[in-house]
Amino acid sequence: MKQPRWLKAVLYLVVIMACLFFILPVVWTVISSLKPEADIQSYPPAWIPRELTLSNYRTVLTKFPYFTWMANSLIVAVAGTLGILIASTMAAYAMARFRFRGRRLLYQTIIVMLLVPMQAYVIPLYLMAGKMDLLNTLQGLILPSVANVTSIFILHAFFRELPMELEEAARIDGAGEFRIFWQIMLPLSGPALSTVTILTFIANWNAFLWPMIAVRQDIMKTLPVAISQYWGSVNQNASFQYGTALAACCMAVLPTLVVYFALQRYFVAGIASSGIKG
Amino acid sequence: MRRNQWKIAMVFLLPYLLIFSIFRFIPSVGGLVVSFFKWSLGGDPKFVGIDNYVNLAQDGSFYTSIRNTLSFFVLTVPVLVVASLLLAMLLNQKLAGRKVMRTISIIPYVLIPSIVGIMWNWMFDNNFGLLNYYIKKLGGSPVFWLTDERFALIAVSIVVVWTYIGYDMILFLAGLQGIPKETYEAAEVDGASTFQVFWHITLPLLKPVTMMVSTLTLVNVVQLFDQIYVMTNGGPGTSTLTMVQYMYTSAFTNYELGYGSAIEVVILVLLMVLITVQNRIGNRERKVA
Repeated sequence: MKQPRWLKAVLYLVVIMACLFFILPVVWTVISSLKPEADIQSYPPAWIPRELTLSNYRTVLTKFPYFTWMANSLIVAVAGTLGILIASTMAAYAMARFRFRGRRLLYQTIIVMLLVPMQAYVIPLYLMAGKMDLLNTLQGLILPSVANVTSIFILHAFFRELPMELEEAARIDGAGEFRIFWQIMLPLSGPALSTVTILTFIANWNAFLWPMIAVRQDIMKTLPVAISQYWGSVNQNASFQYGTALAACCMAVLPTLVVYFALQRYFVAGIASSGIKG
Repeated sequence: MRRNQWKIAMVFLLPYLLIFSIFRFIPSVGGLVVSFFKWSLGGDPKFVGIDNYVNLAQDGSFYTSIRNTLSFFVLTVPVLVVASLLLAMLLNQKLAGRKVMRTISIIPYVLIPSIVGIMWNWMFDNNFGLLNYYIKKLGGSPVFWLTDERFALIAVSIVVVWTYIGYDMILFLAGLQGIPKETYEAAEVDGASTFQVFWHITLPLLKPVTMMVSTLTLVNVVQLFDQIYVMTNGGPGTSTLTMVQYMYTSAFTNYELGYGSAIEVVILVLLMVLITVQNRIGNRERKVA
């Protein structure tokens, strides 16, 4: 449909307003984190800082075990993502390609768990992890994250669409099931694996409730938990400094933003496909 | 001829099923069991039947938390669904820069939710926050967003809308792009106006996507924890005490794990009821149209 000129102008205006709405809080956080503490609480607020400084960042890195928290976050997110890639890929493949009794029921039982959020099973999980001596350990953070359902949904849909002829031909050639999976199916699965990688990495990096409950020791904490406990509203007292808080925040979200911009295409595809269900 | 592949399937399934059962399935079912016990940390669990539920029914804070969860739902879900649909339709037009906007709109969703909370604490700051500065500049009196009981839930709702709008928009966009171009062309030949096309073609065809977005948004909102914990921790007073917040406090501040589990069970039941009601309403509308 042809649009009149004025309508187009209005549409562009809305686009610009929406972009500003999304991005300005982030920009303001970055700008504030680069100001000296005295300037942050100046009035009126200045979009262009009078003086740029990294002193807030220095404070965060020297006065807090920030690198330890970051290492914890990285280990948990990377190991969790790898675990999901291995376990979910194999399981989704089995449910999509192998014939066995009860596979529909099994798949549906797993998928129903999409509607049961962590918040609804965190207490029994806590008791279970306690029994297994997993509290206050990184394994205790990694293992529950591997029980991921979205990845099963995405990979199952993907494997089901691959043509049957591929494996029939390989089977006639005498290839075993593992070789078919490893050498024929996986190399074709790049896009689906990328989607799962980015979705689960970000979910693991951002995880909050379980890491907060499962880990009480300061040096075992991940970034989201440590930052919110030092700089969240719970701890806002007279000596609270926004500059330091915001610097800690900026450094913590940087890895997710890098991964997001690098693999954006797959991220969007992932959201779109994880939503479309039958 | 296809043989039964039970054995090989089990080998492929084993690692996932092991972890899934221990860390997701059993806990999900186990919540119901724990809720029948008086289970405090350290002490031995004691079977108390439905006592936890009886106590819940007489607990004023629990009713407050249900009311807050429902208000929170009403404040966010309709806005999110309508606004993200409109934005998706906007991005479905041939506009320069729409890729940039798509990229930017998902950034809030990608950021660590607890850190988003801290960012907005700064935006909402009573004295130096950006929002109050502009409110004063426009002649209003400053709003104590996070310390005034009347505004705290609204403040948290603003953050939730900001976080999820881009995510919902992507879902709608995928749905819109699934509508064949010929449908629109046929309507255009028939001389339908833009509004008629939207009302009689786009909306009905988008129905399944709308239902799905509503359900996902509903689940996201009812389970929301991170931002509220960081921004208000349920306060001021009990003005942002949602059911999830109350569950957390009962189980991990007061260490009454059985009581917390009973709340978890009620959360799950409420979630299922809301999903069912939402889908019923959606389906009835289709019959009328």
